[in-house]
Amino acid sequence: MSDIILFAHPTFGVLGILAAVWVFVEALNASEANQTRIRYAALAVTICIVLAWVLGGYWYTVYYAPEKAIILKGPWPWAHNFMMETKEHLFFIPLILALYLPIVAAKRLAMNKAARMMVMVVATFVVLNGLAIEGAGAIINYGVKVAFVHTGTKGAE
Amino acid sequence: MSTTMDRTASSRPVTTATETAGVLDGAAAAFGMSATIAILFNTLLAWVKDAYDPLNSFMASLTGHHWRTHGIVDVVVFVALGYLFMHRAFRMNGMKLAALLAGAVIAGGGGLALWFVLV
Repeated sequence: MSDIILFAHPTFGVLGILAAVWVFVEALNASEANQTRIRYAALAVTICIVLAWVLGGYWYTVYYAPEKAIILKGPWPWAHNFMMETKEHLFFIPLILALYLPIVAAKRLAMNKAARMMVMVVATFVVLNGLAIEGAGAIINYGVKVAFVHTGTKGAE
Repeated sequence: MSTTMDRTASSRPVTTATETAGVLDGAAAAFGMSATIAILFNTLLAWVKDAYDPLNSFMASLTGHHWRTHGIVDVVVFVALGYLFMHRAFRMNGMKLAALLAGAVIAGGGGLALWFVLV
């Protein structure tokens, strides 16, 4: 169960990033015809990022402690001290942006240049923060692996 | 607040003065400003709880983990301020608000990274 949650967390993160790219492209070409689609895409961003938060948060607060101890004993303690510490707090930025996105996307973007710009800015930062967080997650995972390799645990290499 | 500038005989949408003036109003403006503040608050709270253990422990005692409390508080700040600004009919130039939000994201994210590099 722990592994399913662990893999579902970045999966929803990636889906949220993809949905944010979708929102950006639709907003760039905003018209009356795609207004409804923009709203659905913005809502998809919210749902995916909230699910990434809930699943990742559950795993982090329930299962992460042993992995943290392994990372700290390994050659890459910064994988926790810097990467995880930054990631766990940085995550709240795209979360807030994802909660805000459907609110501003409810405006008529084809008629409202300011709202369209805001939607594109918010979507861009969901993508950039999301990619940074995904990358950090990969490094944290590698921090566990190098710790096992360092201690000579069989199969780690 | 939003006055009609043009209405055609067909059912084509009407552009309002607010829209053409580049002003964001309603929930979009109110929650845009609350998102800006909540993002900066998030970084500030991360700094303070990391530097001051009693706060970290207190936050952990509320939900079982400081991170859970942190996330919930961020969302509460975002929603509460959003409703407050909306109640006060907050409105602002959309480009300026977008720039402000972008600045908050860069400062907030950079501030977190810098803190955990230095500490």
